[in-house]
Amino acid sequence: METSEIIETLNLIFRKVLKRENIVLSEESTAHDVPGWDSLTNMILISEIEKNFHIHFSFREIVKFKNVGDLCRSIIEKQK
Amino acid sequence: MLFSLVVLPSLNRHENETNKRESAKIIVFNSILMMAEEKMDLIADISIAAAKYANHLAMVIEDKKYSYQQLFHIVCQVYTTICNREGDVVGIVAENRIETYASILATLFAGKTYVILHPDFPISRNTHIAKQAGICCLLCTDLTHEILEPALTIPKFCTSVSDFEQIPDTERGVPPVIKESAANAYIIFTSGSTGEPKGVPISRSNLNAFYRAYRKLGWHLDETDRMLQMFELTFDVSVVSFLYPLTLGASVFTVPSGGFKYLNVIDILDSYQLTFAAIAPSVLRLSRSYFQSIQLPKLKYMVVTAEATDVDLLTAFRPCIPNAAVVNLYGPTEGTIYCTSYTIPKTGIKHYNGMTAIGEPFSEMEMLIADEDGAPLPCNVKGELLISGPQLMRGYWHDPEKSALCLLRRSDGKVYYKTGDLCYRDEDGVLMYCGRKDTQVKIQGFRIELGEIEYQVKQFYENAFNAVVIPLYDDNHLCQMHLVIEKKEEDTQQLVQYLQNHLPAYMVPSKIHFLQSFPLNASNKVDRKTISKLIR
Repeated sequence: METSEIIETLNLIFRKVLKRENIVLSEESTAHDVPGWDSLTNMILISEIEKNFHIHFSFREIVKFKNVGDLCRSIIEKQK
Repeated sequence: MLFSLVVLPSLNRHENETNKRESAKIIVFNSILMMAEEKMDLIADISIAAAKYANHLAMVIEDKKYSYQQLFHIVCQVYTTICNREGDVVGIVAENRIETYASILATLFAGKTYVILHPDFPISRNTHIAKQAGICCLLCTDLTHEILEPALTIPKFCTSVSDFEQIPDTERGVPPVIKESAANAYIIFTSGSTGEPKGVPISRSNLNAFYRAYRKLGWHLDETDRMLQMFELTFDVSVVSFLYPLTLGASVFTVPSGGFKYLNVIDILDSYQLTFAAIAPSVLRLSRSYFQSIQLPKLKYMVVTAEATDVDLLTAFRPCIPNAAVVNLYGPTEGTIYCTSYTIPKTGIKHYNGMTAIGEPFSEMEMLIADEDGAPLPCNVKGELLISGPQLMRGYWHDPEKSALCLLRRSDGKVYYKTGDLCYRDEDGVLMYCGRKDTQVKIQGFRIELGEIEYQVKQFYENAFNAVVIPLYDDNHLCQMHLVIEKKEEDTQQLVQYLQNHLPAYMVPSKIHFLQSFPLNASNKVDRKTISKLIR
């Protein structure tokens, strides 16, 4: 799966969880740039991403995500 | 520490004389200790530790390390700036930077009062606080960042040390402590019921009374300990989380401002192997799905504070902290940070509706459970918790009306603060927390505690989801109870059935809502006000 495909799926997940239709993520996006992405919604987003991609992140992995690009790379790595 | 005097029966006259002399010595020694204790000063103790442990690690902020010498180099600079300025109240902009912490220390060393302004607060709120407090100057690291309305002309001073490598790690010393200052140590502005923030002034004498009692809790901590500071500087638990370690020569670790707080807290506890952490239970609630991958064997103490602590959540977290004692610390801001403590046992935790007991009063504080007329209630009867003692504020800042509403002079001549918290004392003298008085409502003449309904809902979901009950009044001022569950929407038939089986009919909520996540306020507490707006 390509990064662009993953970002497209993440867009759908983020729009659904954060209830905002105008979310367009990029590899550089961080919680700071996305309204509504906070501690609480992050927990829900991660859980939805895990379900969607049939993967599981460890606590250490989640801590290391600095932006959406990190998240995508981890998803690609786990799908190999 | 004081020790009790034990006089043993003597065998002969000689021994009796010796005992008398020894007893007299012990009495003199005790009185010296008492005098020393009365003079105990938190800031003076920080001054001693800073000189003694000059090369020790004082603070770690965003992975940057600062020794006591480096920290106090900035403290001295700020001290020189503010020391001879007219006016007692210094405004400090809350930033996760060494300069911010140094500014707080410099203000306290100079015998002045600090008031925190937060960059995330609306400008109007900061301006209101600055005006109300009568701030004489503002300390910040970025002079271009406007946090006050331009019409308010307050001198600003930049405390920024642009390159921390420039801070010399050489002897610079510690500024003198202005001990006998009559000024308050800090004023914390909390949200008032009328929407305007009200100021809680805490004097140096309040702070020192707190310090004496806090030390007596028997912590085994010293200069080798690594301790967490996760709280916003606008919230008073930050005061002890930051200042107490510095009295020991220990190291303070603040939580990075980027990313997510709950993840950052657990990450810091783990990567720096912290030994002491005071945390809000919401940190645990959010990381619950990762408990199996969290192991913090170095943690000696975990303090839970800021909101009621679920017994179930703590029990689930215990295996992650196999060597830690867990302590619940409770207290309103008006009573200086904390005023009761309960060491939470591994099993047989005392609780009320799943909320952990708050324990016993701090050494110099008195607590009373009172009915609505202020009359004391017997053991096991619920009432409002009133507190009195040297940790109690004198009154709200320049607000005698609000002070009169919550401070009560009883017939014993002592002033008590009405906490608005419902508690009872059990047969062992342990205080049990039963929720806020204002979460108690009357429906059809029945007195209802919302906590009880919330407890049953959590039981139905086996504690997997949080729930709050919000009383909303319709046009006819009739109260309807709205249950809000932190969960994806689902069919509620089984839940309603369960509640009908476990609660009297008048306690079953009339409406049920689902929210994917509960909003938190600045103190990391579930924000009931915002939830009530969301469901309207």
